[in-house]
Amino acid sequence: MYLKLIIRNVRRSARDYLIYMVTMTVCAMLLYSFLSVTSRYYRPDMGAQYNLAVLGDGMKLAVGSISLLLLFLVRFVNNYMLRHRQKEFAIQTVLGMEQNTVAWLFFAETFVLGAVCVFAGILLGMFCSQFITAMLLAEYGLEYRLSFMLFPDTMLLTAAFFGISLAVTGLFNVRTIRRIRIIHMLHGGRRNDTALGRSRYMPFVTVLYGIMLVLMLASGLSAKHYYFDSRFPLPVHIMFQGNILAPLLSLAWLFAWLIRRKRWGFQRLVFVEMLFTLVNACFFASVPPICMRYQLSFGSSALGSDTGANQYLLFLLAALIYLVCGIIYLSGAFLCRWKDKNPAHTYSGQNLFFFGQIISRLTTTAHTMTLICLTLSASIFLFLAVPALTGWASGFLDQRSLYDVQISSAYSSVYEESDLLTGDLYIDSYGLVPDFLEQRGIAVSHDCAFSLYLPCRDEFYNRVKLDFPVAVIRLSDYNAIREMLGYEKIHLGENEFTTQWQSIATAKERDEFVKNHRSVSTDAGTLNLSQENPYYEDAVGETLYNRYTDVIYVFPDRICESLLSVMQCRYIRTIRPISYADALQLENDFRKLYPESPEDNIGMCYYIRTRTLQVNDTRASIFMTNAMMTYGGIVLMVICLTILSLQQLLDASQYRYRFGVLRKMGVEENDIDKLILKQLCVWFGLPVTVAIAVAAILAVYFFTTIQRQLAAYMGTEALLLRLLATFGVLTVLLACYFASTRALFKSAAGRG
Amino acid sequence: MKSVLKLDHIQKYYGNGGSLTQAIRDISFTVEEGEFLGIMGASGSGKTTLLNCISTIDAVSAGHIYLDQTDVTDLRPGHLARFRRENLGFIFQDFNLLDTLTLGENISLALTINRMPHDKIPSRVQQVASSLNIADILDKYPYQVSGGQKQRCACARALVSDPKLILADEPTGALDSHSAQMLLSTLQSINQKLGATILMVTHDPFSASYAGRILFLKDGEIFTEIHRGNSSRKAFFDKILSVLTTLGGGQTDVS
Repeated sequence: MYLKLIIRNVRRSARDYLIYMVTMTVCAMLLYSFLSVTSRYYRPDMGAQYNLAVLGDGMKLAVGSISLLLLFLVRFVNNYMLRHRQKEFAIQTVLGMEQNTVAWLFFAETFVLGAVCVFAGILLGMFCSQFITAMLLAEYGLEYRLSFMLFPDTMLLTAAFFGISLAVTGLFNVRTIRRIRIIHMLHGGRRNDTALGRSRYMPFVTVLYGIMLVLMLASGLSAKHYYFDSRFPLPVHIMFQGNILAPLLSLAWLFAWLIRRKRWGFQRLVFVEMLFTLVNACFFASVPPICMRYQLSFGSSALGSDTGANQYLLFLLAALIYLVCGIIYLSGAFLCRWKDKNPAHTYSGQNLFFFGQIISRLTTTAHTMTLICLTLSASIFLFLAVPALTGWASGFLDQRSLYDVQISSAYSSVYEESDLLTGDLYIDSYGLVPDFLEQRGIAVSHDCAFSLYLPCRDEFYNRVKLDFPVAVIRLSDYNAIREMLGYEKIHLGENEFTTQWQSIATAKERDEFVKNHRSVSTDAGTLNLSQENPYYEDAVGETLYNRYTDVIYVFPDRICESLLSVMQCRYIRTIRPISYADALQLENDFRKLYPESPEDNIGMCYYIRTRTLQVNDTRASIFMTNAMMTYGGIVLMVICLTILSLQQLLDASQYRYRFGVLRKMGVEENDIDKLILKQLCVWFGLPVTVAIAVAAILAVYFFTTIQRQLAAYMGTEALLLRLLATFGVLTVLLACYFASTRALFKSAAGRG
Repeated sequence: MKSVLKLDHIQKYYGNGGSLTQAIRDISFTVEEGEFLGIMGASGSGKTTLLNCISTIDAVSAGHIYLDQTDVTDLRPGHLARFRRENLGFIFQDFNLLDTLTLGENISLALTINRMPHDKIPSRVQQVASSLNIADILDKYPYQVSGGQKQRCACARALVSDPKLILADEPTGALDSHSAQMLLSTLQSINQKLGATILMVTHDPFSASYAGRILFLKDGEIFTEIHRGNSSRKAFFDKILSVLTTLGGGQTDVS
């Protein structure tokens, strides 16, 4: 009998919670698919130079952590089910069933429901994992072959994850049901959500934001104290002052409100604070572009990816979160006021009913709605950031892994010229590397060992980051590298030099440099910039340049003979790729002899990079970033859309009643359909619009901080194209949820 | 006096083939303008089915219903909603107020649905609310007021669009005796002072005693009909009880 009861309940719940079940199935499918890459049995034919083991543990950890987010969805839906079924539980208990039995029956029901989804998800995962494999192989530039395989370890992991999640949530439910008194269960359905006025979440958020404002003010004051210079141009002045004044005014308003809080009311505090927050956000967002524009240092190092930027990103996030909380919190009040002030619109058609529906929902679920907005923003931002990050990493890889072996050195930890000359700099031109390759039978097609010089000996002692000396390469070495890479050789006239640029440098920087360096004084006399070819931009690798510089001089060989040699490099190209194991061994052997960090941090630093490891590690990182951010974005998005959808569908009985009253009062079916559409549009539209706005602001901020890298390694057009494609996919996903919610809502609540 | 509602041999069947249930066998009667008509009967006598047919929520199987000369049984489904909102007012046992709107907005809703110009709505709502003594609670939500106040609001909502006929389905069913008495006095007052035509379905003799005429249904047919005339409400109440005794006696006759 109990079994029959469970099966019947599962069938009924499956109908009521269809969207939740679909979401759970999709999530189980995605979990299985992404985890399949880490399976012991997953061995795509990729060749000796690739090793997928680097993906394994990282992926497992990342996939598992992201999947934990699903617990929120499971808990939310279970709570909802529990609340809606309390009366039924009470009746069963009154009829004589043990409360314990009722609880375990509910446990069994939710567990079976979840298990069905997980089973279906794993089956679908078999197909979906093909896409993940295709995505992985495409990342490595390999051909994809279809192969259906069920990975037992992945299957077990997926089942265990969901099994434990469902069991833990179920046990919480059992505990809850066993503790509720029958009388409370009988009246459970009548309990209303906490009304907005009585909710404490917004005062709590405001207090937290107040603390954040103090930090913002302190940070603004400290930045001004340490980094401000009165000679800075006006925009920099405004930025420094703004980052002090805006938080100060926000705080002043908070204190003013505290004094007159009885007269002004909490809603006024939030509204005015939001206006100040908007100003704050603008000043925080202005920091990266202004710092980049005027080459400012605003933290531990030049701004771009340093602590200063991270701090202001954190402040911007705090401001945006407060804005979202405020918008949702005040939207109900705003609608009420608008309704009262516009009777013509309020009393037109069924608008009165419509406003009532929306306002009542906004005032009772503002808290959930805010969380949904923030989570959706995070999800959209992840989707927007993925193409930029992967495009950047991919483009960067293409430009830096030009040689099978790249060896370079840095003199930044050598402090005396004499140490440089008597040091280990010239040890046999890293002869261990060609020997190793020969030993392993790897034939070399090109090999170029060369030195890098400084134009003037005195510049050796210049260690100012923003004014670091540009290094020099001999023309013959430069031509050897160009030949190795398939570029044409270059020629220089008597006493002429030219420049080679890294792709990250902007055209403006390059032109300015060229304009200001028409001639260069060297220890061997003055050289003039070649009129014919003042610069070259072909990709020659990133290790050719001196630290903190994006340019290198190319001098005639005879000039270099009189210059101070400070670094030595060796670039090698092989006939066939070096295997993963050999590359690892080579790098280890090299580091034993030539350490990256010298003892006591004094001495030369040596670096070796093999294409095999560079490609392998970077591709694995790109794939993992791509997969995890996409998976995280999807999980967050489906959680939000499912909760939005369920909030409407699970209250269908309430809506059925309300629409029933309208019908009895003579409202036509067409108008009721329009009302449903309008209601769902607002319900989905408000969080989606707010989330898009927040994500767009964050994305613009993020893209601004990495605009140089994006322009150099990806290109604005490619980024825009990928963003458009992402936007299209997200729109389709949203449309699917909206359409299915509308259809289910109409069938559940629409018809009398 | 002009007749507002006329039922002409209406019948209503449910089911088909072997499982046919005859909810209304054959009912005909007329309701005059400004009349307060009560309909009584035991459970299953066809009261609610009759009300549903009159209110166009359900369709008759045979016969005709005329409301102010319009045969509602001939109306196309697309026109029924409009007919309802323009001609009928409803008072339900469980109030049917919308919990998302204030009492004032609940009353206004009937007018907005009828597309009344927005500038006339507040004054009309205030006027009706004053006559029902709920003007001071118009800003409250249904969950903030008592059952009696809710039902008076439901009365105001039914009355505000000036319908030709007000249909009340067990309006005192969810009220305590004091609130029920107040509501019935209100209904009587809107019938007598405002000339509203009311058709009330009830199984409570006390409620029915406020009506001017009562039809007793039994097994889908009119069993009998009594008029209050000039008699006191107490006398009319006794008369109702005696009819109910007769009505019930037929069911429990075991001789």
